Amino acid sequence: MSFYKEHYDVIVIGGALAGLSSALMLADKGKDVLVLERHNLPGGIATSFVRGGIEIEATLHEMMSIGPKGNRLKVGKFLEDMGVDIDWLKVPEAYHASLPGLEVTLHPGFEKFASEVNEAVPGTYDKVLGLLNLCHTVFDSVNELSIHHMGKAKMLIKHEAFVKTAGYSAQEVIDSFGLPQKAVDLMAPYWIYVGSSLKELPFTIYAVLMADYIGYGSYIPRNFSHEMSLKMAERAEEMGVQIEYRQHVEKILVKDGRVYGVRTERGDEIHSDYVISAAYPNKVYTSMIEPLSEVPANAIKMVNGRRLSLTAFSVVMILDKTADELNIRDYSCFRGDTMDTSKLYDELSGLGPYHYITAICHNRCNPDVTPEGTCSLSITTLPRVDGWKKVTADEYDSVKHRIAGELIDYMSAYYGLNLRDHILEIVIETPVTVSHYTGMWNGCIYGYSHSMKDHIVARLQTADKEKFIEGLEFAGAHQISGNGMGPAVTNGRKAAKNVLDDMKRKEEAGK
Amino acid sequence: MKIKGFLNDVGGASRVTKARLEAFETASSVPVKNDPIGDVAKEWHPGMLELVVTDIRDASPTAKTVRFERCDGKKLPPFYAGQFISLAFSMDGRTVCRPYSISSAPYEARLDRGFAEITVRRSKGDGYIADYINTELKPGDRVMGSMGLGQFYYEPLRDAHHILALAGGVGITPFASMAKEIAHGTLDAELTILYGSVSSDDIILKKELEALECDKVHVVHVLSGDEPDWQGERGFITADLIKKYSKDDTSYFICGPQAMYRFLREEIKKVGAPARRIRFEVFGQAKDISVFPGYPAEKKDETYTITVMRGRQEDRIPARACESIVTACERAGIILLTDCRSGECGFCRTKVISGDYYVNPENDGRRAQDKASGYVHACAAYPLSDMTIKIPIV
Repeated sequence: MSFYKEHYDVIVIGGALAGLSSALMLADKGKDVLVLERHNLPGGIATSFVRGGIEIEATLHEMMSIGPKGNRLKVGKFLEDMGVDIDWLKVPEAYHASLPGLEVTLHPGFEKFASEVNEAVPGTYDKVLGLLNLCHTVFDSVNELSIHHMGKAKMLIKHEAFVKTAGYSAQEVIDSFGLPQKAVDLMAPYWIYVGSSLKELPFTIYAVLMADYIGYGSYIPRNFSHEMSLKMAERAEEMGVQIEYRQHVEKILVKDGRVYGVRTERGDEIHSDYVISAAYPNKVYTSMIEPLSEVPANAIKMVNGRRLSLTAFSVVMILDKTADELNIRDYSCFRGDTMDTSKLYDELSGLGPYHYITAICHNRCNPDVTPEGTCSLSITTLPRVDGWKKVTADEYDSVKHRIAGELIDYMSAYYGLNLRDHILEIVIETPVTVSHYTGMWNGCIYGYSHSMKDHIVARLQTADKEKFIEGLEFAGAHQISGNGMGPAVTNGRKAAKNVLDDMKRKEEAGK
Repeated sequence: MKIKGFLNDVGGASRVTKARLEAFETASSVPVKNDPIGDVAKEWHPGMLELVVTDIRDASPTAKTVRFERCDGKKLPPFYAGQFISLAFSMDGRTVCRPYSISSAPYEARLDRGFAEITVRRSKGDGYIADYINTELKPGDRVMGSMGLGQFYYEPLRDAHHILALAGGVGITPFASMAKEIAHGTLDAELTILYGSVSSDDIILKKELEALECDKVHVVHVLSGDEPDWQGERGFITADLIKKYSKDDTSYFICGPQAMYRFLREEIKKVGAPARRIRFEVFGQAKDISVFPGYPAEKKDETYTITVMRGRQEDRIPARACESIVTACERAGIILLTDCRSGECGFCRTKVISGDYYVNPENDGRRAQDKASGYVHACAAYPLSDMTIKIPIV
């Protein structure tokens, strides 16, 4: 017997959240799916690892679009609908903001959030609530419009706020509310989770981000993001999906403009009329399509016309005291020397020191996640790939250790102690680590930058013109919804929907 | 509602769409294949490499040092002193992996025609690969290897500047690497090695270690055997001896045979150092699994059948209850690659579809959800019934 079937309905390259979401949705519609994952476990960077007998979250800070039981948002609902049962824990606060002149802990729920901002910056309640409500209106429209197409005139009537804010940056819309700078600063910390300065970030994205996180709070799986990844993979297998680990797809086989299969590093040629790729379009169009003569010039222009967004650098530690003993009060803390996001964004193109840091203490949401008397702390910055492209293999270790030391010291100053005196285990995750485990293009985890030149509304408008090879779809942070674990699921579903629609069209044409 | 004015507001979607299309139209049509971050990842973690043996020499009357270079002439990957290499030997139609701490220094791997060395002691009957290396391997032989593995290395952000190495027997090898790197000036730490051997003849890498003595590297031999002329430390590596060579702030790194681990786990407690200052190298595969807590000793002589699935292919193989699932696969000629063989790294992570098994509690490095969903690290899991498992296609 051979390892693979003669033919699959769909081959998915990459068994992370996007690819697994595609596989689940396709299997749910009775399709025969093969997932090929290069690592020996699912999830990509949505995973965990064990050091010194202690399990440690690799990357997840907080999942959006989950929502409480009984009132799930789209990602939470999709997983439930697919029969993926995850033990979600609600993150207690939105975040603690530690900014010049501001030490404020903010909680989800619009009224609560607005009153907490108001307490720090009096007289802002109505405006903050007004801005959040606008965000929610836009958020509702985005969710509806991602399912139903609509004519322009009707859209202006039914989705006025969405239409009228689409052409503006987050900064422009926020400015129209006339809030004092300190209040704006308190509403800006999440910018790093979408990776663009407020001046560049489409308001549409800001609105979705704020409505989702502040409106409904965020969640993490009890058994790390590996719980989510593994349960999705296990459920897909139950539904008949074949998942093969440690299979690295080298080539996507194309003939006469149409996909017909893939070839793995091992040399297996496997056939299918549809391929969903989690590998970046940059990699696919420059080295994976076989033959490369099948790649049209416009595909290259498209990838060259987009800007890679952020990658990640994290120092993940198990500390030898409890969070209480170490003055670590919050699950998530954003600490910055400024909240000038343009300045901070520029800083991210270098190799540090970085002055906008996220620190996550897992125990503040999941108290028993580490052994008694210890706690976990991960300190993260999300640099652009630009600076890291210049680091050579011989310099890598010293750059990595220097930056890790800077991050540890930056947060030590905040907690008022030396974290270096408490490190039981430490793992430094870099763009190189990301590339090593996932093969993501230049270690980039955020896909392409959200910007006014690569706006989600524009992405939706022109999506049909960006299909260059029939039967080839993409699923990952590089797709319409962009980066983040929640959007990864949405991107995966979108790819599956495109495949299903195309199958249906073919079927109807054949009749 | 109004942001800036009706026309400006309603024209937003068209404006941003036009901007995006313009960005594509003006972009270059020359493919850019560069992935420099990926290139660094591949240089550090190239995966399985084809290596050639270029030298074999005695490291003691009972141990040999073997030098490897890359067959393709490229540099070996960077690694940290203390890490190991996993070698995959193909013999008699089987592929068998073994991890060995690298006894040469990281800087030596990065030289032109750089190399990595392992030092292996002839076994006392239970390690046929160790015997093969000592008696049959010769210069010019080729072997596959993956290196830069494991967590047993000095981490400057975590560890004390002074390392006190507690070594027994062939457990000296990671410290030989650290000593060389420190003496060479490419690792900023201070190392004192307390090296336990039975007799002076048993001391592995004796001359190499002597040559490395300097203000930052000290080697103290501790002999447990009866050797009348011996001037140095005697007996076992006890808490008193450890304290004698400790400084105000010292990190303890421990590597040696399993019996020594059991002894030192107790001794090190008496030293009173905080947990973050104590680091054990991984345990290795258990010599006799039947003595471990919770193992059903009455089953140890049983042989079961494991159905091994690779993709859609199924193979049925015999498996002894006293041997790991990896060993069963290796005996049957099914390739199941391992790195640490100590249950820690998860490289041999395997899905159990059905059947009972035992996991060595000292070597259980699994994720919580893997445990809950029935995954094992096959090097540390033992069949207790007929089983069906799924492993990667190699």
